[in-house]
Amino acid sequence: MRLLMVDYFSLAVSHGVLILAFWRLLWRDDLNADPQPGDDGENREGQANRA
Amino acid sequence: MPIRSRATMAKIGKDKRTVLDLALAGFLAALLVMGLKRPFIWVLAFIYVDIVAPQKIGWGFMAALPASLLVFVAAFAGWLLFDGKKGTRFTFRQFLMVLLLAWCAYTTLGADFPEEAATKWAWVWKSLVFAIFLPLTLRTQLRLEATALIMVLAGGSIIVSAGIKTVLSGGGYGALQSYVGDNTGLYEGSTLSMVAISIIPLIVWLARHGTIFPPDWRVKSYALCLGFACLLVPVGTQTRTGLVCIAVLAVLSLRYVKQRFLLLGLMGAIGLMAIPFLPQSYVERMSTITDHQADESASTRIAVWKWTLDYVGDNPMGGGFDAYLGNSFKYKTRHVGESGSTSSVEYVDVVDEGRAYHSAYFEVLGEQGWPGLFIWMLLQGLGLIQLEFVQRRLRKSNDKRDRAHASLANALQVGHAVYLVGALFVGIAYQPFIYMLVALQIGLVLQVKRNAQPALPERPKRERRALKPVGAVEPT
Repeated sequence: MRLLMVDYFSLAVSHGVLILAFWRLLWRDDLNADPQPGDDGENREGQANRA
Repeated sequence: MPIRSRATMAKIGKDKRTVLDLALAGFLAALLVMGLKRPFIWVLAFIYVDIVAPQKIGWGFMAALPASLLVFVAAFAGWLLFDGKKGTRFTFRQFLMVLLLAWCAYTTLGADFPEEAATKWAWVWKSLVFAIFLPLTLRTQLRLEATALIMVLAGGSIIVSAGIKTVLSGGGYGALQSYVGDNTGLYEGSTLSMVAISIIPLIVWLARHGTIFPPDWRVKSYALCLGFACLLVPVGTQTRTGLVCIAVLAVLSLRYVKQRFLLLGLMGAIGLMAIPFLPQSYVERMSTITDHQADESASTRIAVWKWTLDYVGDNPMGGGFDAYLGNSFKYKTRHVGESGSTSSVEYVDVVDEGRAYHSAYFEVLGEQGWPGLFIWMLLQGLGLIQLEFVQRRLRKSNDKRDRAHASLANALQVGHAVYLVGALFVGIAYQPFIYMLVALQIGLVLQVKRNAQPALPERPKRERRALKPVGAVEPT
């Protein structure tokens, strides 16, 4: 039973991190097109922070 | 498909099972909904489904849900109908995979064991088709990172469970189970050991260069815990292949280290200090690694490999999937008996039949013959060479993005080398996770090529002249 709880714990932690990753990707414009040279640094970080 | 034993199932209330099913289905549904805004998420969702196989974890309606098919159709349709195609190319390595796929189809048609071959073909073709398709979608820097991240987190899902169970119970050869009790995909002990070690460089890369989860103390802590869990998997599964993979990773990771002998000594010292904490059964099993004569498993491997070489001598075009079922051989194992102060060595004849290849190289050779092995080796070898070129070209660049690409190339190359060494002892020639790594390598090489091309200046918009009626006279 203890090992089963380990399964539930691992599933919860890993799927929590996974859904957070998907959620952050959802709001990133550079997922579909690379940023042009010159506007990459700040914009990307800004988008990541906003997400 | 009943994955857990009835006794285990009886312990768990029906409510808990329903909650688990609902949670997994809800997670999958959330991904499908997110894909409506960003269709590439469907591609990532397929990677998740293929690695974790949530339909196997659930018991109720999840088990009946054709999750893999559903997500693959969404991924492909999403790319075909809604996704941009700018910058996509069909590379030589993708062509090699098409060739391998066609050759596998050909050998399946004339297989020695048609039924078994058809069963294996049913999952191998999907693995190859997705690996051919994936690079077409990897058009941006972020997509490469996202693919690497989802592969690591999805694989990490199984690894975290295996790692914690190793700490709590010590594991055991063939005894450590994560989520499900079947022996397919990443849920097989040796495969999980090899994959766990091969993704460690990717974990390090994501913790250093990630933008989805920018490096901070939380990301680094998670990466550290996941990396530690990866190292625990070979201990928990008690697979000798895993230990060999750790040794290969340790040596290869020294490449760009300045004080490599100091680090090597440090690794050795940590390894020695860890021995008292390792389960006794693990230490005993690992001690047989250099003595194949006393071990039936190792003796069988050598006998199967000899049989395969004889077999392709008569059938150079291979015998189709699972051709090993036709093998039968006799070999000797050495047993040391002790009575009092004397020990006697006894050689015992063992007869075996239908033993698996226990090596990806011999698996391909026996099943696909020399042409198949040539294509497969070329596919693997070209990857290592291309990644080497990327590293040499970009490692000393002043551009941060180039250095991140060089570092990713190194992580993928080391991971692939670990796989190629692990594959010497495990029959994982068509493991979907590895073909995803191959696709990621292709995507990286294409991305580096795209970045190397000078950006075309934007075409100045031409002003439209107003049309004048013919014969109109300009006012003076």
